Parts: sequence; structure tokens; C-alpha cells
Amino acid sequence: MRRYQDVALRTAYLVAPEADAADAVQDAFVKAYAALSRFRDGAPVLPWLLRIVANEGRNRRRSANRRAGLAERASIAEPRDALATSPEAEVLAAETRRTLLAALGRLRDEDREVIGARFLLDLSEAETADTLGLRPGTVKSRTSRALGRLRGVLAELEAGPSDG
Amino acid sequence: MAERPLGQRSDMELGATLRGLAPAIAWPMGGGAGGPDLATAVRGRVESMPVPGRDRWAGLRPTRWSGSIGRPARRALVLALVALLAVAAIAGAVGLGLPGLRLILGEAPSTPPPTLAPATEAPGSPGPGPLGRALRLGETVDPSDPERLDGRAGFHVSLPSDPDLGPPDAAWIDDLKGGQVTLLWATRDGLPATSERAVGMLLGQFRGTVDSGFFNKIIGGETVVEPVRVAGDQGYWLSGDPHIFFWEGADGFVDDPRRWVGDVLLWSDGSITYRLETSLGRDEAIRIAESMR
Repeated sequence: MRRYQDVALRTAYLVAPEADAADAVQDAFVKAYAALSRFRDGAPVLPWLLRIVANEGRNRRRSANRRAGLAERASIAEPRDALATSPEAEVLAAETRRTLLAALGRLRDEDREVIGARFLLDLSEAETADTLGLRPGTVKSRTSRALGRLRGVLAELEAGPSDG
Repeated sequence: MAERPLGQRSDMELGATLRGLAPAIAWPMGGGAGGPDLATAVRGRVESMPVPGRDRWAGLRPTRWSGSIGRPARRALVLALVALLAVAAIAGAVGLGLPGLRLILGEAPSTPPPTLAPATEAPGSPGPGPLGRALRLGETVDPSDPERLDGRAGFHVSLPSDPDLGPPDAAWIDDLKGGQVTLLWATRDGLPATSERAVGMLLGQFRGTVDSGFFNKIIGGETVVEPVRVAGDQGYWLSGDPHIFFWEGADGFVDDPRRWVGDVLLWSDGSITYRLETSLGRDEAIRIAESMR
């Protein structure tokens, strides 16, 4: 149970870090009844729900009229979350985490969403497509382009002092 | 690899690095560990909405889950969505207060599932073998021997006392479904065909427990759920779209490979839950149900 709650909350947080994720998810559920008629039996439940959550997060992002980077509210404390640890994940040094968070904060929302869904939420390409409302065939290329832009920002950050 | 500058890593390397970042992010907490309990919060918020009228289930009467839906139904849907998080394999559940029965909110399949038995019975003809054999109701038992039926079921199998109806034409017990008993009456004058043309009426009986949510059911957008009273007991008349039953076995939820054959009267006397499927309509179904002894 907790796993699905957490994924919903993380999706909201990922899409709109500046907003209150719990409020966004609550509102998403209250609004979800209207979308229930579009939920087809046999369809994957989680991406359908996450898409509603993601849309709610995007609405809040627009209404908030400001954009805060993931890094602003992200902890750089020692990893404490066993849930999201996957076998291929690296154990990162604090400086590396700080640099990554700063770089993610500089990305466009669209790039941060697809990178976050694929690597921070560990969703599959199909789940990412459903959640973010993308065509399934475009997730791979979007992810690759987003990683390319992330790489560029990381190179800038590593080349000199951050301008914040 | 870990020493390579981040800006020079390949997509695959960067992906692995990003996965390592996830545990370090201060994700919002969904419950426990000092965080807000999301399900409780949503439930409280929905339940604080004013409820028009006194009939808690009145809002389930509209035929569509649409914008004009009543607040209680909206509440039920939202609660179902909360439950959805808890049981992500199914679409969410709303207790009806009948032992072992919960409503699952979601779209019913528009076509029969592939697990349905082939329609081997010719329309209008019972064909060889006991009535309802294509419905996969378990093991056939002698419908004319009530004592043996009770002994086999492990509980008293009630029968309608309506003389016009007479004894059932076939009886089945399914041990894989908790010993569910199904009685069938053949189509004849005064007993119009259900969606199974040879079957005029079907009466299922099973023991349920409130805690286990033993039987579940998917209702579609065109299904009407109407609360009724059956001899003073709470019941529900479900009509409209076909529905699918789910039941909970030792290994989790599995679907009952049988589409309901008609509109359904569901009720319980407290320990046994009954489902009567017929084309006779709500009032006649209740009359038959109240004649059961």
C-alpha cells in the first residue's frame, strides 16, 4: 500500500516541487472520479492514476507562477530511503548528489519530468509514457535528449563555480 | 567509472547515477513515519462533504458516473480510488454491508472475457446434461434432495416456496468458490429467458465474511445499483450493464469465469449472501426472495 502512495506523492513532487505534494494528490483523487469513465478494465491502474496526479501537479505548477528547482527542497543528507534503491544504483558522494540536484533544477520541466520518471521513480518506459501523457515511442528519445541536456548542464557546473 | 566527471558519462552511466540520487531526495511522506496518512486525509475530506438526503446509497441510482452524479456516489468513487492505492491489482472496493460482498468500481468488459465457457447449449434448448453446465458452476448435485444439498453445502440451502416456481431443475456446488451453491430453473412460461436462453432463473448462495471481502464485483458505467429491503434485510438490485464477479482465493483475487446472466438481486440474512439473477424485474425478484424458506 505504501509503495503506491509513495509513488503518487513522488510523482506530484517531481512535477511540481514547489507545491504541496500531499495536497496535490488529495485533489487528484477528488478529481479522479470524473476520469473514472475513461479508465478501461484491464488497463494498468497505476499509470492511469499517476497521470491524474501528474496533471494535477502541472496545474499547480502553472498556478504557482514560479519555478523552484528540485534542489531547493531536496535533502542532501545521507540516503535514507531503501525503497528507491535499485541494484544498479550508485552510492553517490554528497558532492555528486549536490551537483546532480543543481543540474536537475536547471532543466526544463519536460526534461526533469521524463528523467525523474525514468530514473528517480524507476518507472518503465510504458509507465512513463502513460504518466506523462507521451506517446510510448517517444519516451526513449525524449529521455536521451533530456540526458544530453543534463550532461551539458553538469559539464558547465563541473567546469566552474555555480552561479546558483 | 565513479571518478569520471558527470558531464562526460554515457546515458547508461548517467541513468545509474541518477538512480543513486533517488534515495537522497527528501520525498514527501505518504503515511506513517511522521507523514500525513493520505488515505485517511482523503477519506476525511470526502466524508466532510454534506450528504443530501438520508439514503446513503441514493447517489448510486443514476445510470452513469457522470457530472450529475450524486455526492454519495462521488464519495464512494473517491473512497474506491483511495482503496485502489491499497489494492492496486483491483480497481477499488466499496463495502455494501453484505457479508463477503464488495462492489468494485470500474469498467466492465464490453465483451465476455475469454475465460467464459463456450456456449455449447443451443439457444432455447437445455441440451444434454444438467442445466447450466456451460456456466462452470462446479459439481452438479441432485436438486431434488434438499437434505443432501444442505449436507454437501455445509449450510441450509434456502429454496423459494412459490408453488409456481417449483423445485430447481439443476443444482451445483463449487468447492473452489468456497462451496458456493447455485440453483437453476429452466426457461418456461412465466419464467423468461436470461442472457442464457435455457436458464430462466439462477439463485446463488454462499457464506461470506465481512472481513475477507470474499466476493467482489465490477460494475460498469451503465450499471444501476439500487438499495432495497428483502424481508427486512438490506439488499441491492443491480441492473443494466453486465457485471463480472471477483472472488478472493488463497492466492489472491481471481475472476469468476462467468458473466452474470441477468439483473441481480443481492441480499443477505446475516450469514449467507444470496444472488438471484432473473429477467423478471425487481419487484418480482424481491417477492421470490421473500418466499425463500
